[in-house]
Amino acid sequence: MDNIAGTKSSLNWAVQISVILLVIIWLIPTVGLLVSSFRDRDAITNSGWWLSALPVEQNFAVKAEGEPVSRDGVNVLEGNVFGEGSGTVSKFGGRRAAPDAFTPGEVADLSRDRSLVVQENGDYVYTSPTEISRAPTVYFASAQPAEFSMVNYETIMGSANMDRAFINTLTVTIPATIIPILIAAFAAYALAWMEFPGRGLLIAMVVGLLVVPLQLALVPMLKLHNAMGVGQSFLGIWMAHTGFGLPLAIYLLRNYMVGLPRDIIESAKVDGATDFQVFTKIVLPLSFPALASFAIFQFLWTWNDLLVAKVFLPSNSESWVMTVKIADDLLGSRGGDWGILAAAAFISIAVPLIVFFTMQRYLVRGLLAGSVK
Amino acid sequence: MSPIIQGMLTIVIGVGGCIGYFWASNMVLDKVIFPAQSKNPGRNINRANMVRPWLFLFPAMFALGLYLVYPVIGSFWRSLFNRSGDEFIALGNYSALAQDPTFRTAFFNNFMWMLVVPAASTFFGLLVAQLTDRLKWGNIAKSLIFMPMAISFVGASLIWRFMYANNPDIGLINAIRFAMGATDALDVLQLQFWNNFFLMVILIWIQTGFAMVILSGALRGIPEETIEAAIIDGANPFQIFFKIKVPQIMGTIVVVWTTITILVLKVFDIVYTMTGGNFGTEILPSYMMSYMFRDDGRATAVAFVIMIIVLPVMIWNIRQARAEMK
Amino acid sequence: MTNQFFTGVAALALMSTTALADGHLPFAPGEGAFSWDSYTAFADANDFAGQTVEITGPWTGNEKEKFDAVVAYFTEATGAAVNYSGSDSFEQDIVVSTRAGSAPNLAVFPQPGLAADLASQGLLTPLPEGTDDWIASNFAAGPSWVDLGTYADADGNDQTFGMFYRVDLKSLVWYSPDAFDEAGYEIPETMEDLKALTDEIVAAGETPWCIGLGSGAATGWPATDWVEDMMLRTNSPADYDAWVANEMKFDDPKVIAAIEEFGAFARNDDYVDGGASAVANTDFRDSPTGLFAIPPKCYMHRQASFIPAFFPEGTVVGEDADFFYFPAYAEKDLGKPVLGAGTLFAITSPSDATTAFLEFLKLPIAHEAWMAQGGFLTAHGGVNLETYIDDSLRAQGAILQNATTFRFDASDLMPAEIGAGAFWTGMVDYTTGKSAADVAKAIQERWDALN
Repeated sequence: MDNIAGTKSSLNWAVQISVILLVIIWLIPTVGLLVSSFRDRDAITNSGWWLSALPVEQNFAVKAEGEPVSRDGVNVLEGNVFGEGSGTVSKFGGRRAAPDAFTPGEVADLSRDRSLVVQENGDYVYTSPTEISRAPTVYFASAQPAEFSMVNYETIMGSANMDRAFINTLTVTIPATIIPILIAAFAAYALAWMEFPGRGLLIAMVVGLLVVPLQLALVPMLKLHNAMGVGQSFLGIWMAHTGFGLPLAIYLLRNYMVGLPRDIIESAKVDGATDFQVFTKIVLPLSFPALASFAIFQFLWTWNDLLVAKVFLPSNSESWVMTVKIADDLLGSRGGDWGILAAAAFISIAVPLIVFFTMQRYLVRGLLAGSVK
Repeated sequence: MSPIIQGMLTIVIGVGGCIGYFWASNMVLDKVIFPAQSKNPGRNINRANMVRPWLFLFPAMFALGLYLVYPVIGSFWRSLFNRSGDEFIALGNYSALAQDPTFRTAFFNNFMWMLVVPAASTFFGLLVAQLTDRLKWGNIAKSLIFMPMAISFVGASLIWRFMYANNPDIGLINAIRFAMGATDALDVLQLQFWNNFFLMVILIWIQTGFAMVILSGALRGIPEETIEAAIIDGANPFQIFFKIKVPQIMGTIVVVWTTITILVLKVFDIVYTMTGGNFGTEILPSYMMSYMFRDDGRATAVAFVIMIIVLPVMIWNIRQARAEMK
Repeated sequence: MTNQFFTGVAALALMSTTALADGHLPFAPGEGAFSWDSYTAFADANDFAGQTVEITGPWTGNEKEKFDAVVAYFTEATGAAVNYSGSDSFEQDIVVSTRAGSAPNLAVFPQPGLAADLASQGLLTPLPEGTDDWIASNFAAGPSWVDLGTYADADGNDQTFGMFYRVDLKSLVWYSPDAFDEAGYEIPETMEDLKALTDEIVAAGETPWCIGLGSGAATGWPATDWVEDMMLRTNSPADYDAWVANEMKFDDPKVIAAIEEFGAFARNDDYVDGGASAVANTDFRDSPTGLFAIPPKCYMHRQASFIPAFFPEGTVVGEDADFFYFPAYAEKDLGKPVLGAGTLFAITSPSDATTAFLEFLKLPIAHEAWMAQGGFLTAHGGVNLETYIDDSLRAQGAILQNATTFRFDASDLMPAEIGAGAFWTGMVDYTTGKSAADVAKAIQERWDALN
């Protein structure tokens, strides 16, 4: 049965290797996002994510706090750059512009006849012939182990009302996925297998409507919802997602259904089945792969949607969906927190991936077994 | 009422309502209005069959009409008015577009996007779908390639900043260039003309997953017997792929191609967040968004230009549909 | 992390966050330097129990929390509930909701331009009678704030729609006191000194400036602030006003000269971190981090008063970071011009409680309650400056109140297609190599095409 791969094992290897290569290329950016989601904003802007697993030599600045003591006519300030902790100093310096000018143990002569010695274990001695009025800063380089944390995820998961937002998102997405599929399936069947005047025109119209930018419809539709008394509510957003998702649903499903074997459908009709029966008993089960793949996409769009949710749902925090919660609450004004953004992207990826895995089982071959087109 | 219960209720009512509508309307049509068991069964069945398509189509047409056609018509009317909407200027917005050099750049760039992105996404999607078709770990490979689809455009733009950034400590491309001995950072998003392709890569990266899912479904829909027959005839794997499989799923390839082409005319997020349309990377959707909610006359005019661009794609689809129906 | 928080943020702010979690007022009435008398009088005179004021605005996250704390005082005084929702895409949301008829009671506009647009479409309600007089006499430089909030309504009549609350100061240069101290650099008092310092830093083999214009769809806006500051430092305030109104054309030699003044900094490879080519696409949020890198990537960063929000975690303003006034030319004798911006409240759907909320905003406490939480400047003349959370903010407040010339961010006042469109992209084109004259000409052409 495994005829292609089975007959030629060299070809099989070539296939395996090319798939691995493709997957790696596709994964590089995603891995970058994943790694970044475990880092904080400062780390993200300071070093590349591909280096984040290695210990990096970083430069630090530490204020030499403490009481200067007078010894042999000079003022001396002693301490340890690591404070209570520990570490290894690889380089040090007395100026911000040259934080790694000296090796540990060396005596660094600073301006105004001051000097500084830092040992490998972090102990420093700062001397000055004059009184030390302002705490000097000691600069040093030290290798830092890779640091990853769940802080970004905790911030997102732990924020108030996140559970509510998650439930709201599900409440929006599930009906907004199922209802358009159902409506579209009937329409797609009519456009694929029923004869009536104007069919070509309708198909063209569906393709044309695919390209309509959502933004055009926001104001008139919200107006209409307000006039109907629906206002900003879950009902409103279900209706909106249904309307906006229909063109693609009809288009994809019609094209799948039209490819179903003609003889099955015609023989059923000859046997006296009505179109309604043909549709429910034959076409719908056979179209399962198409229904499943569209369900995946519609779910994805409604899940990641921010625009429609903001317009058609009330703006109070009880009706926030996850995308709104993340964009308007967690990212903060002018949204510059890349770590949170990355973690949010991964949290929002999880559920769609589960849906994808579940739905993939339905994208199987064999439904048409026994029939030749 | 808690939103969960409300949601469940809606699913039940919505789904039940839909099924109920289709079932009941068919019943009414067949049993009440045009009963087959009557004086004139043949005529009644014919009449019923003339009405039935519209029963099937009605909910979809109603929703499409309300949510898309009606706003489109309103928008077209709006595109004939000036910025504040109180003065009729006929095609003034359209002629203003024609004279705007940024619009011309956007138009040209969008044309390149329409050539490159659907072709590349479909190619890679088909490649992955075919290669993973019989692979044991094919589903895992597919899921990994599908993953970008699930990332929001904003998340996608963020991750590609980590690839393209000028600073070699942040951007992977410049880090590699430095590792190979380059000394000056290169901002790929500022490379005139080529920067468009760097932006296209992002959408290709995302949309390959879409093409893969649909095409993989289609490949699996090809009856086993057809392929087995070809193998018995001694066809090699490449012949099977190009001579048997591709022609069989041509219809689906057209669908994928069309869908991605249309997406290229709608997605503004990537350009918007990566470059804001600067450095000569403007495309029509992002150009439209820069006017949307400010100068609606101009924005809607761009929307109609986009719809006109889709005309050839629509015609192609109708011809394809006609061919299938025969 | 908690430790950093304790040392980094003044105890007041800490108090506010913990107190808020309990649903109480962050600063107990009657205590501290706050102006409680007018607040108590207000509380006695107003009762709107059971009513709700809906507000939307651009403040999200941390800023939303601070505003919610301010609002708590209104609720405490009147019994009316306030539902504030912040949105990252406020500009778009407010247009959709006002047009569709689901507007909130009040909207907080980040720029006057958008408010003026909505006012001209009849979507805003003028402020109550007499508010303009009150602003004129109670705000520092009051009449100019009234002018900034006065727009033509749908019939073309000028009415006061906007009341400013929260001001940003733009003419600031941020630096690291440590870096300046160790290198022996002095804070420049004049633009001539600033340019000399810039050259001195270059001569020392270092890079003086960090400039980043990247901001997604709004890429380019930081450059417009530079040009506006330069306009004020090379031309009279009257010229600036003429430029804003397009009475002085955008391609006027004076404007081109101001753009080139900016270019003198941004287009010099030696002056900016990463070279001139890095300016256009470096994110403005990441740009200031160069000040705190060890070794420093740059020594100065010109940006508005909000920028400390993007400093690395744990940076203490006043110790690790500080600012100086972006100086004026000594030889030009134009005084000490200050560039600023601000958010304004406008009524999108009137109600009694809404009017009361605007009355509440006139009280010093409405300003002080945010001043004490940090990240807030006000032009209100009646506030007690002691309530500012730290000296740094107090100093900024002083710059604001002592400015000889205060001008509002020009790009916020120009029509949106220019101030939030052509001006931004024009500046990006200029930093990436186009000539100032060409850029200015293109922007003027866009402006001409508007009418």
